[in-house]
Parts: sequence; structure tokens; C-alpha cells
Amino acid sequence: MSRDLLRRRNTSFELYDVSVLSAGDSELAEISSTLSLSLSLDEMKVIRTYFTKEGRDPTDIEVQALGQAWSEHCCYKSSKPILKEFVFGIDRDDVLSRGDAGVMVFDDDYGYALRIESHNHPSAIEPYGGAATGIGGILRDVVCMGAQPIGLADPLCFGYPDRKGDLPPGVKHPRYLMGGVVSGIRDYGNRCGIPTITGGFFFDERYTGNCLVNVGCLGIVKRKDLANNFAGGPGEVMILVGGRTGRDGIHGVNFASRDLTETSQDDSRGAVQLGDPITKEPVMHACFEVNEKHLVTGMKDLGGGGLSCVVGEMALAGGCGADVDVDKVPLKESGLAPWEIWVSESQERMMVTCKPDNVAKVLEVFALWDVIATPIAKTTSVQRMRLFMNGEMIFDMDLEFLTGGPVYVRPYALPSVPDGSKEKFPDLPSNKEVILTLLSDPNVASKEWAIRQYDHEVRASTAIHPMVGKMNETGPGDASVLMPVPGKWKGLAAAIGCNPWFTALDPYNGGKSGIDEACRNIVAVGARPNAFTDCLNFGNPERPERLGEMREAVRGIGETAKGLGIPIPSGNVSLYNEAAGGRAILPTPMILACGLIDDVRKAITADLKKEGSCLFLVGSTKREMGGSLLFRKFGGSDGKVPGVDVARAKELMDRLLRAMDSRLVLSCHDCSDGGIAVAVAEMCISGGIGAELDLTAIGGLEEGVKLYSESNTRWIAEVDGKNAEAFSDAMGDGATCIGITKGASLKIKGARTDIPVTELRKAWSDPIWKIMGGAGDE
Amino acid sequence: MTVVDVRIELKKGVADPEGSNTKKTLESLGFKGIDSVRTVKVFEITLDAPAEEAKKHAEEMCRQLLANPVIQKYSVVVR
Amino acid sequence: MSEVRVCVLRIEGTNCEDEMAEAFRMCGAAPEKVHLNQMSGKAPPELRRSIEDYDILALPGGFSAGDYVRAGAIFGARIKSSMGRQLRDFVDSEKPVFGVCNGFQILVELGLLPAAKETMEPSPTAALYNNDSGRFECRPTILRNDSRGRCRLVSQVPSGRTLAIPSAHAEGRLLGMDEDFADRLEDNDQVVFRYVGPEGEKAGYPWNPNGSKSDIAGICNPAGNVLGMMPHPERVMTRFTHADWTRGYTSEDGDGKEIIMSVVKAVKS
Repeated sequence: MSRDLLRRRNTSFELYDVSVLSAGDSELAEISSTLSLSLSLDEMKVIRTYFTKEGRDPTDIEVQALGQAWSEHCCYKSSKPILKEFVFGIDRDDVLSRGDAGVMVFDDDYGYALRIESHNHPSAIEPYGGAATGIGGILRDVVCMGAQPIGLADPLCFGYPDRKGDLPPGVKHPRYLMGGVVSGIRDYGNRCGIPTITGGFFFDERYTGNCLVNVGCLGIVKRKDLANNFAGGPGEVMILVGGRTGRDGIHGVNFASRDLTETSQDDSRGAVQLGDPITKEPVMHACFEVNEKHLVTGMKDLGGGGLSCVVGEMALAGGCGADVDVDKVPLKESGLAPWEIWVSESQERMMVTCKPDNVAKVLEVFALWDVIATPIAKTTSVQRMRLFMNGEMIFDMDLEFLTGGPVYVRPYALPSVPDGSKEKFPDLPSNKEVILTLLSDPNVASKEWAIRQYDHEVRASTAIHPMVGKMNETGPGDASVLMPVPGKWKGLAAAIGCNPWFTALDPYNGGKSGIDEACRNIVAVGARPNAFTDCLNFGNPERPERLGEMREAVRGIGETAKGLGIPIPSGNVSLYNEAAGGRAILPTPMILACGLIDDVRKAITADLKKEGSCLFLVGSTKREMGGSLLFRKFGGSDGKVPGVDVARAKELMDRLLRAMDSRLVLSCHDCSDGGIAVAVAEMCISGGIGAELDLTAIGGLEEGVKLYSESNTRWIAEVDGKNAEAFSDAMGDGATCIGITKGASLKIKGARTDIPVTELRKAWSDPIWKIMGGAGDE
Repeated sequence: MTVVDVRIELKKGVADPEGSNTKKTLESLGFKGIDSVRTVKVFEITLDAPAEEAKKHAEEMCRQLLANPVIQKYSVVVR
Repeated sequence: MSEVRVCVLRIEGTNCEDEMAEAFRMCGAAPEKVHLNQMSGKAPPELRRSIEDYDILALPGGFSAGDYVRAGAIFGARIKSSMGRQLRDFVDSEKPVFGVCNGFQILVELGLLPAAKETMEPSPTAALYNNDSGRFECRPTILRNDSRGRCRLVSQVPSGRTLAIPSAHAEGRLLGMDEDFADRLEDNDQVVFRYVGPEGEKAGYPWNPNGSKSDIAGICNPAGNVLGMMPHPERVMTRFTHADWTRGYTSEDGDGKEIIMSVVKAVKS
């Protein structure tokens, strides 16, 4: 440093006073960068003003805590105004909590929890550990609501795994990243005994430099045991439980709030933690036990920002302050400086608060589970955070100032959006070639390679599985359905919706499409969409065009959810997703939707059930080719991105669900990537039955548009011939007969198309096995 | 303190899917001339005992926990 | 008959105990989830349990102790050290012991299976080793009851009956010391379940998901009161957790119920 900005205090441990009061602007910037605070000059100036009022320089641990609390990851300083404007306001009286996870009413006795978040940057550096700790974090978010995790959902985005050619410096091959991430999810999820029931894979060159690993989790909680994530008031004890604290995972949140660089690999190793599912599992059990016995007043997971964030947030939300004995924190190794203990993101840790009378009982429960539990702090009646090390005060700040954080209304630029007037439709080869090509694109092709490595049946409650159809000859499902309460038939459905290609071309309609797709998946199994949680993955918000993308996408999500009357009780924002050199990812607003079905025995799967049924298209097909898989594969451009008529979507969902409840539908599949052609082909694959399509009833469009348009709010439904009229009536003007199930090949009338189901199956089944390697390729 | 390295490896004839899968992957990354890849597990155990005794202890550990004689063999080396 | 008491034994990393307990409850038994610490005197007095107080010992699936060292090895060693003698007495008294998936791996590591020479062999005489595919495999499998009468735990399941019971494991390939290991198990009527194809034919991959010799999915001890199996009957107690129930069914009971029911009936009244 240019001069003595850090002054070592004469203590037995490592502590520095930071010369902020006398620092000029360039020195403030130097402090931020030397201490890896990731704070801007303006933020450093605010800190200088605060400590000038306090009449002293801050300690290193104080500025480190501010660096954590004010990171994008912890305080959403760039995204909050946008979220507030569009998504926070959707309310309904069955929202039970908007805590670390959202909690919705499941039935009279139970609530279900939902939450999704990102673990992108750590996974790009160390895919196995990054993904595994992502699972650990999302499980804890659900556990600290008092909810038993019951299902995981993991949508992932990578570059093409069979990518050829040189990679940019510092970037790992997508195949390597995908292998590592799937192994991490598998080992962590399977070992914790939580089924991975849904997810998605999105492949595009623009994810090569910055993969996305989003992890979602569902839980179930007795409504009377629903936990708070904050202290019950002053005079309580904070008990740190679970893993010991070490140097792993220092500065993870700052790392998540910056672009990746060519040297991220070496700079950031400290920011990637190692998970330990076998510590986690007893931590979960013990937390449930103290919660069910109502021994604790609050529980919170130690995620981004470690102790520094969790103690502050639990105290502030509980209307109190906290006095902390930092020296009591159990450590993995000796010699950690106080600030390292304070910001470490070591895994498998939770904080619980309780009344002093209950401390002994709480500690007894954790002891039985062989889990370390240590009282480290007391809540106080002044809203200040004070830290002590061997009795010496090393930290004394106003809690509101520390935890509140700055909020920015940053400039944004709205994108220009194709209206379809300049659409260039590609020259297509035969339908057979097109359909086989679309089926074998990794975005559509079978993900069985990953799905069967995840235990999707543990807990014995999976009623509708991620792959459907004949045993060991399955095809793709829509939503998975769980029966969370033993002995009850009520089901909870979960599915992902997201179309990053739509969002890149037209963020507003891309946002709407994600909600529509998630709902389509839920409705396709016979469940009613009930709540969303979203993970908003975008680029650097300091670039106006990136922030504009996000703003428009969030507007689309918010308007659609509001129009459908469906709340978003939890969510997460991940910004700065850019590769070295500033190339942004596709804007990726990932939606995890949950739905309810009163009786899972009425649930429906996508596999064709028998020959001689009628195939109906539900919804309208339009000339909306923008961002479609067809255009991406065959070189079309400037198409209009599909929009959503929310009122119409609501009506069609209601009608379709009523028809399903009356048992008029044999199978149903959502119509998305690759349009009607791919949707029907997939139903043939999972059912092992052919179909004859006749699209003349869809008027006014050329064949290529009818077959491959990706217009929203559409499903394919198989209906027994004897029920065709009743179904038609039930759907009003919403259903069009487009063919029958028959034979062993997919035929399209008028186009002389005839593709054996065995060929469809092969085209769809093999690609990812071939790329990733598998038993069949010896 | 004595440090012993306990090496647990698969007996001859027991297939090693992790090894063969790794070999295949290494080859797909362009590494040539790989004859075989086998997975071996090493436990580094620090004991408060003289070398000779430490070796005996470690061998007993192998019999009771660290190795399954059906598929694995062990060797103990005192550092 | 009085209530059948089932001890569902667990340590950290066991993770199928809830559904195992629920499965026994659905079959009229009284299951209790018991942590190994409760058996070894580490727990407060009111939580201490003893194996003699139960009629059935069930070892559920999971990744006990992270499957570190080898699947089931650490749980096996800890059982041996904390309650080994009581467990041997339990088995010698012909009470049923039932292990599923990781529970089967534990029984093998404990020397309770195949146990050709004594009740609890001093070191393992078989191994459940990595699947041929080298991967964790979560998929539907079909089992045939090949027991000729020795295994008391499946006495209520008709001989030759096929049942759809799903598998989910990375180490399920049964290996023995020598080549004719499988033949000897067969000769001795210790093979209880085999993987078969959908028409009952010999199972290739993926119907045999791990490459187990002679398609063996489950075995019993010579006395017929210890059964270990890789697939999970407790996951299919109703029709509606089977992978393909939407393609039609005749009964709302799942195939697993037949097995668990039979295990409960194996208790001598």
C-alpha cells in the first residue's frame, strides 16, 4: 500500500485498524481492492462518512463485514428496484412465508417450501464442489423454514458439450463442466437422500465462458412448525451448529458479484468450498427436532457472507442487536484472523436462536446427533452489532447501516425487438431430416445420462417420474409429482420453464414465455400451477443494455404471474454472468413452478397410451418463429418471438385441467422446443406407438410454421375416440384435432413423411450418451 | 509419531469401472499411449507407536475395516 | 399375534429410514427409527434401546457414513464394535434381519451374508462392488423370487413371482471369493431374488443394472432369517410410486408391499 493504510493492533490475534478517515479517494479505492472488498469508491465514501461520525477508523473486520453485506449477492443493490416494481407485489392469502424459502399452503395441516438460487461462479471454477455446495445451500434454505426437503430441481446451462475448437483462456470445456456439475449434484443430493426430480439442460455457445448452475429445492412443513429466520427478541442466545469454520469459501459473495476473468481460476480458489453431505444430514435432523419441540425461535442458514450476514440479518429482523464472542466459533485450523472467521463461507453451518432457558435442551439434541453446537452470541436491545475477541471489542456498528446496504437505480437501455416483418424463413430439407435433427439437438435429446445418476425416487414419494413411458424405454416427462405426506394422495408438481433464446431476442416476451412454459409443464400432468420461484441470471448490471434485458424480462415475468394470480414467494438474482472479455451469457430467467393436484391417481403422463386415440392440439399456433429451435438449427432469422395472451392462457389451463379431472385425457405433453412435430415425436417415443398427423385444421399457415412454430400456451392431448366430442366441448374453441395414434411410425399427411418410432427413439436417445460416455458405447 | 501409508487396491481380475472410464476419458482428451488406469486408495495414518508396531496395527486395520478381502488387497509402508 | 416391533437402525448418512418405517407401518407392524448411538449407551437414559426388545431388525438404504472406505463398511464396523454380540444373538434366535441397498451392503460387510460358515463371519466373504456401468443407476428393475423355501422372509411371496422393484445404487454387483460363488449360493438355496427382463427372460443391462453375477439381486443366510437385497421394495408400497403406473394397473397396492408383508409374517408368534 502507498502508505500505512493498515495499522496492526497490538493484540494476540491478527487485527488491523484501517485508515479510512484520513484516506483520499485513490486510497479508498486502494483499500477496497487490497482487502478484496469489491466495494465501489462511492460506497467507500459512505463508509468514510459513517466512521467520521463515529470518530474513529474502522477495523479490518468491520470493512470486511461491509464488503459482504453490501455485495450484490447479499443486498441486491442493482436488482431490488426492478424486483419491487414488477414481482414483489403479487400477493395471495395462501402465502405463508417469504423467508429464506417461500412457503405456500399445501393443505389444512401442511405448507410447502420452494426456493431456487444460483451457484454459477463457483461451478465454473470447480464444477464438482461448486455444484455440490450449491445443493447444500439450497437444502439449508428450506430446512431453516422448518421444512423437510423433499425434492431438488437443477436447471443447468453449458456450452455445447461436443464443442470443437480452441477455448478462450481460463475457460474449461463444457463437457468437463457438465460432467463435474452432474457428479456434484448426484453425490450431494443422493447422499442427503433428497430426490432430484426435475431440472433442465440448456446448451448454447454463449454459456461456454460462464456456465449456469441453478439449484432449486422443495420442502414440506407442518404449518404449526413453520420457522422464522430471525431472533425472537433481545436477550436470546445464538447457537452456531454444524461444520467448523475454516478458510474455505472466503469472499464467495464478492466473487459472485464480479465478472469471471482469465485468472479467476487461481484468484478465487478460496471462494470455492468443499461440501460434506454427511455432516449436513444430521444437522438437518437435529434442526427439525429442536424446531418441532419449539425450543428455538429462529433458524437461518450460513450462506453467502457467512456469520457476518447471518448474525446481522437475524438480529435486525428480530428488532434487536447482537454481542458476539468471535473466539467461541469452532475452527478447522488455528490462526484464523477474526475477519476470516467472520466472513468465511464454510459449509454445513446453521444458526439457531433460543431463549436462555432452552440452551441446554437444544445442545442436548445436537449432541445426540453428533453435531457441534456452540453458543456464540446474545441478542441485545440496542440495534448495534458488537464483536469481541478474547474480551476485546473489535467491531461496533449500527446494524441498520451495516445490513441495509446501498440501492442503485442504474441506467438501462431497452433492447430493440424483432417484430417479424423481416423474418427470413430457412430452406428446409425433408420433414424427416428436420425432425430427426431437432430431436438429436442436445437441447431436446434425452437427458437420461444425468437423470438416472440422480436418485429421483428416494423418500418413496415420487408419483410422476422425470422420465415417463414404458419401463427402460422411456421418453421425456413434463413435470414431476411428489406425494409429500405419507398416506395422503395430494400431490405437489414441480417443473422448470425458461427460454433463454426468446429472452435474448425479446426479453419481455422471453420472461412471459418462461412462466407460460413452466405452467404448461405443470398443467400437462394434471396439476394446477400454484407458485413460482425464480433465479434471474443476467450479465453485468452496470452495462445499460444488460440491465435493460433484465428489466424487460422481469416485467414479463411479473405481468404474467400477476395476470395468472400466482405469487412468487421467493427468488434469487445472479448478475455479472459474463465470460472473460465481457461476453455475456444468454439472459436466463429460470422459473421453477409448483402445482397442486388433489389426487395424484388422476395425474397424467406424456407417453401415448394406445392406438386409435385422437390427438388434439390445445391452443393456437401462430407465425412466431423467433428464437425457435428450427431457426437456430437451420438458419432462420428475425422471427417474432412468441408472446403470451395471459387471459387466454388462464382460460385454457382451467379448461384442460377440468377435462383431465373428468378423466377425458389419456396423455398430455407440453408443446415447446421444436413445436408440434417434436412434441408428438416425443409422445411416440415414450409410448412406443406411432401417430398420423393431419394439420389441415390449423388454418392459414404454411406447413413449416405449423410443425415447428413454438407459440406459447399449447399442449398435445391424447383422447380416447369415444371421448373426443366430450373433450372438444370441454375445451370450447381451444382444441383442434390434428391426428390419431396408429402403427409404429410418425406420419404427416400430405408431406409424405414417415419416420419409424425406432428411428425417432434412436435420434433422441443416443446423442448425450455418445458425448458423455456410457454403458452402451463399449 | 509414525506415519504409515496404507494402499488399498483391487485384486487382479476385479473389473475397475472407474479406472477404465477414466482411461477412456483421458484418451478422449487426446492423451495417447495409455496402457491402463487403475484406481488405488491410500490412507495416510499417523500413529503413536514405533515403526514395527505401527505396521502391525495398520495391517489389523486393513483386516477389520480398510480392505474387503474379496475384492481388495492391501499393503502397508512405514514412511 | 401381538404387535411386531421393528427396529429401523440408522446412523448419519442413512437416508431411507422414513420410508422403511412407513412401509412396515403400512403392513401393520410397529416400527421405530433408532440411531446406533441409542444402542451403544451414548444416549441419555430415556433414549437408550436394546436390540432384544425388537422382533425385526431393518437396515435401510442410504450412504451411511458417506460410504467412505467402502459402501457399508463403516456402519458395519460400528455395529460390530457397539452391539456385535447382541446382534449375533439376535440372528441366532432366528429373528428376521432385513437389509435393503446400503443395508444389504452393511450385512455383507458385517459378515452376516452370505455367512456360509458361521452366523457372523469375522471378515467379509462377499462384496457389493461398483456397477459395471461405473455409474449410479436409478431405474426400474424386475425381480423374480427364486427362493426354494430357505428364506423365511419371502415365504409369503409365491415362488417364481416377478415383482417390479426399483433400484438406485452405484455399488450393487455381488462378488465372491471364487468363480463358483454364485453356484454355491444357488445350490444352497441362498439366492432369493434375481433380476429378470420384462417378460421374465434373462436380464441384460439395464434390467440387471449392476452386472451382478447370475443376475443376483438378493440373498439370504443359510438359516434363512437374514435377507439382503439391492432394490427398494419400500419405495413401491402403492401402485402410484411405480414408474409406469399411468400405463394401467389392476391393484392399488405396490409390488413392494408383498415383500414387506412377508417380512412381517416371518416373525415367529
